[in-house]
Amino acid sequence: MAPSGTVADPPQCSTTDSFNSSDTAENDIRPFFVLHKASSGNHNGKLTGIVKSKRRIESPSPKIAKRSEVESVEEEDGQFFSTLRFKVFETVWSKIEKTIEDVLRNSNSKVFSGIHDWIRESFESIISSGALKLSEAVRSYPVLTQASSKQLLTAMVLTRNLEMVDDLLTFEELELHLKSQGCHVAKLSSMDFSAKSGVGGCLRGLLRQFVMPTVDVADVTILASWYRENKNHENPVVIIVDDTERCCGPVLSDLILILSEWAIKVPIFLIMGVSTAHDAPRKILSVNALQRLCATRFTLSSPAERMDAVLKAVFLKPCSGFTVSHKVALFMRSYFLCQDGTLTSFVRTLKIACLQHFSLEPLSIMLEHFCHDGVNQLSGEGTELLTEATMKHAFDLPSVTRNKITRSTFEMLPHFLLDLQRMPNPWSIVVLCLYEAGKFDKLRLLDIFCEILDPEARYLKYFSPSEIVNSQSHNSGRNNVIRRVLRKLRDLSPSQLSSMLKSWENLTAEFTEINDKVIELHPFMRAVEAAGQRQGLPNSPKKHASRSNSKLEKELKAMTDKVATVIEFMLREYMKPVESVPFHEILCFKNVDKLQSALLGDPRGRIQLDLLESHDILHCVCCSQRGTTLLPSMHDTSILYKLAQEHADVINLHDWYQSFKTILIPRSSKAKQKSKSSSKSKKRKEICEEPEAPAEALIQARFCRAVMELQITGLIRMPSKRRPDFVQRVAFGS
Amino acid sequence: MPPKEESSKVTRRSTRSSASVTVENSEPIESHTPTIDDLTFGEESITIDAVLSNFPGRRSQIFDFIRLMGPLDCPTLPIMIYGGASTGKTSVVLQVLRHLNRPFVYSSCRTCYNPRILFESILNQLLLHRKCSLNGYSSAKRCDKPSDFVNLLREALSSVIKTLESTSGTSRSDKPDEKPMGKMVYLILDNVDLIRDWDKGTIILQFLFSLYTVLKMPQLGIILISGLPPDVYYSNMGYTDPIPLYFPEYSEEDLRQIFLRNQPNRKLYSAFLDVVLKPFCRVTRRVEELSTTFSLLFRKFCEPLDDLGISPNEDMKRRLYSHLKPLIAHCLNEIFRVSSHPHDGETRGERRQKASYSSENREELEILDFHMSTSAKFLLLSAFLASRNPATLDASTFDSTGGMDNRKRKRKASEKSMEKKEIAEQEAVMKGPGSFPLERLLAIFQCIASVGDSSFGEEDEEEENTTGYDKENNNLMSDILLQVSSLCDANFLIKSGSCPLEGSIRYRSMVSEDLAQKVAKSLSFPLSKYLYRR
Repeated sequence: MAPSGTVADPPQCSTTDSFNSSDTAENDIRPFFVLHKASSGNHNGKLTGIVKSKRRIESPSPKIAKRSEVESVEEEDGQFFSTLRFKVFETVWSKIEKTIEDVLRNSNSKVFSGIHDWIRESFESIISSGALKLSEAVRSYPVLTQASSKQLLTAMVLTRNLEMVDDLLTFEELELHLKSQGCHVAKLSSMDFSAKSGVGGCLRGLLRQFVMPTVDVADVTILASWYRENKNHENPVVIIVDDTERCCGPVLSDLILILSEWAIKVPIFLIMGVSTAHDAPRKILSVNALQRLCATRFTLSSPAERMDAVLKAVFLKPCSGFTVSHKVALFMRSYFLCQDGTLTSFVRTLKIACLQHFSLEPLSIMLEHFCHDGVNQLSGEGTELLTEATMKHAFDLPSVTRNKITRSTFEMLPHFLLDLQRMPNPWSIVVLCLYEAGKFDKLRLLDIFCEILDPEARYLKYFSPSEIVNSQSHNSGRNNVIRRVLRKLRDLSPSQLSSMLKSWENLTAEFTEINDKVIELHPFMRAVEAAGQRQGLPNSPKKHASRSNSKLEKELKAMTDKVATVIEFMLREYMKPVESVPFHEILCFKNVDKLQSALLGDPRGRIQLDLLESHDILHCVCCSQRGTTLLPSMHDTSILYKLAQEHADVINLHDWYQSFKTILIPRSSKAKQKSKSSSKSKKRKEICEEPEAPAEALIQARFCRAVMELQITGLIRMPSKRRPDFVQRVAFGS
Repeated sequence: MPPKEESSKVTRRSTRSSASVTVENSEPIESHTPTIDDLTFGEESITIDAVLSNFPGRRSQIFDFIRLMGPLDCPTLPIMIYGGASTGKTSVVLQVLRHLNRPFVYSSCRTCYNPRILFESILNQLLLHRKCSLNGYSSAKRCDKPSDFVNLLREALSSVIKTLESTSGTSRSDKPDEKPMGKMVYLILDNVDLIRDWDKGTIILQFLFSLYTVLKMPQLGIILISGLPPDVYYSNMGYTDPIPLYFPEYSEEDLRQIFLRNQPNRKLYSAFLDVVLKPFCRVTRRVEELSTTFSLLFRKFCEPLDDLGISPNEDMKRRLYSHLKPLIAHCLNEIFRVSSHPHDGETRGERRQKASYSSENREELEILDFHMSTSAKFLLLSAFLASRNPATLDASTFDSTGGMDNRKRKRKASEKSMEKKEIAEQEAVMKGPGSFPLERLLAIFQCIASVGDSSFGEEDEEEENTTGYDKENNNLMSDILLQVSSLCDANFLIKSGSCPLEGSIRYRSMVSEDLAQKVAKSLSFPLSKYLYRR
């Protein structure tokens, strides 16, 4: 039934048309509408939010931007500023993104060159063992040499992450790297290894990449003949399979067996990406295929290591100026550790945070100047942008009022900004120093970073004398990273200490105040070393027991005490948490709730809620005022779902259908039942009743489709063979 | 063999050397056109002694095979050569044909993985057609039906035989050195047993077996090589059964001969074989498998030696043995070895060193070496539990009061029922991990995740921080279905049922207890407490 007159406030003009048109057209839009709403309607509704690939990150974010822009149009020239902010966001984000890309590329380069070396070495040894003549190389029967010749050289690249997402890019880069070195490279993914298309499918994929796009039959002999043409045989053939675990085992085994038969004629190198343990191939490949693999292991850096590198580059090295608050950092950390565990999702989180920062904070345009290195720009172009409204906003910032900075210090603003800009420098140096010290305990920069951002600087309490005494007691949680660093310091061996000092010296080179303190440590270090040499003992931290070591021990103790005081000095003097600095709101994203709701949707709950309150979304007058009563003009799926609420965990289809029908059939026949409803609605109903009662077949069709939609949204389960006339409810509550 | 046939290598060699010169060219394919000579093995034919010495322990098989092939130009009934993997079937056949210098066509059903490729590969060879960029890598004839194949094969064969007849009649007479090629062409089909797995494989097999009768061309000798005995193919279809020829597994002595063949220092290698051959023969006698293992072990064996040319005395043998001994047991159980590249080993070494700073090395081995998010870990554990524990005990395992009840009841059980239970359990072990629906997985997940959070998590500290967001179950739950799918992708879970909408999907955990324990340890989750045992 088309509620033709009932659309009160149509927000989407596209939907109005269809509402006004015929019954079928209305129904056409509905399923789409329900599903669509769940994905983008709210900040939470994020089916697409959990998208995996990096490419698709873009899709949810601009929406959020637009929406928040709309929210902040109170400013007189808001439009101008919001586009400006968006522009600045783009510069800032592109800078961050580029930094991240560079970091990731660097983290892989060592492994890549290792793989290339391995390929070169093996290829040369194959070549040197004797080249085949053309007629030998393309004929169908095997070259008769020793039995081990059927071995297929394989590199197992351990990605060390259960999720593959981060490494899709890695393997693409590996492909490019090897191609640039002259290898013939083809990349296959698990999609090519489907049981349906069999080994022919992946051979076809190979030939498509190596030989030519259209081959009639995918036959290995083509590869062999191709390899012998046009100097192709001067370079090795590399095949990359990036997600081995996901491949169909038998097909991959077949491919390996076929390729190994031709291994002498075409020197093929297989690169298999393995995301779990290195013996994962054992689980999916057949014994015969396993025997043919001559595997070498390569290990990529773990996600945590990469994460540290990214953090370091984005937040601790001068990058964009954008930073996050303690709570946001904690949230991001827990999201990384507990939820997704991929760098891709971390980067996405960062991007959402950045975008929200720009959409919420008018002054964020100032960040542009942090992106450029020039300092003097601030005074010129920067202050130009500071209109009256933004200035007012700036001095209403909580950090400003807290510090009792008033408008009288108007000229101070550029000064403060300069301060902000300079501020992270000693700060990041200290964090990096801590990280250096923490490395001996395998501490993660992520943890240190999160703790150090604490606005209340709770870590300082670890320096209180009582805490040092207690420090041996085992009550520390995982969060007290800095305490662990301090405790670990006391266990370090002299060699570790000296290497740490060296790295500290390098880190602090630009900042004399800390550097001096570090250099002051040298005499102590020398004393320790001297004592160690006198004993002529290996530098072992645990050998304090023997009495002859007492001298060394004493020196070490003095040394570690000194180091601890230096750390304390650094923390006390320079660790001004970002959040205590005036005007930090310009740089620092703090709204963790917004970020959380943007990131962690509750799609199922959202769908259920939306179904129960469809009138809120549809903005339909007749339904919205009815409250609990079900009207025929309501959305079919929504009616069905509300009806389902009355049932227990199984629903008799017939009953369900009957009650659905009673709602859809116009009340003229059973008007008495509905007489309780208000006169207002009755009037509406009369309008609605213009089209006659839908035919039985139509009701059935609508019922079926609505049930299907509920099934697709995962709320019910179709009848089983045992109980063919019952559907089962899967989700309860929200 | 008549002496005149023994020797016109000169001309032949010259033609081949001209061919090999063209190989050096940048565009070799254009200058090299296959001739009828390419149907023979293409290298100098070898004497029967060379064949025999190449294949220790295959003497009787070689002579049987030559006898079955018969003298030159004598029609041959189809032969089926069968025997286990890596027993020398293919090599013997090829070397004997090389010895006899007879033209043949070889197609492996491994490489030719469907009928069309198989047929076209045979025809291409007979028609002297080679796929190359000039002909767009296409075959000479398109053929995917057995009936077409018979016709095309007959055509191709008769033309080949015509050429063979003309060459043997005229031009070959002035090359007395060369063995005659004869007027027969042999068709070798390798790995015939694989055809059984093709779709419509039985039809193709029957066709191949009856090819000889259907074709009615005595000039074609068919040789089938199979890993399985002929019995598996036989059906009462009325074709002539091929003559079987069995290649048995090598004996230990044969293996010794095989491995000693091309060794520079036979004494040293013999000492090595004394040590390794016996234990390994009990595990496998496949030459292929043994040779990869042996080459690795021999390298280890020689490590303490400076000079590889020495002949070891008893004392040294003993020393070398003691050096090798710890490796043997390990290698016996391994098929798949992953070595690490020197470059990679370096970084790993660094890591290990770093680890040894902090804690015991033993612990390092028990740590997961790949990253998983916490929720994925809990999910993995709950899947493991769901697969191992009977579903009926869920309530008692995850509910403390229920657990007590259960224990009491268990104690009271009579001996007979205990026995029954034991048998049932053994059955369960034999059946492997059980399957479970998604709901059960999620329920267990919620239970253990909440337990893990409250007792072991860092939540206590977190609360103190009052972080403004609740890091609780709903947080952990948010994209749990995504985690399920990534566990499936990593082969930790196996899904049964194909349609995602059907709802009756059941999962099965494929995780070994070892890995589950490791994961539990990384979460400090008491897995054994929840694991149901007898």
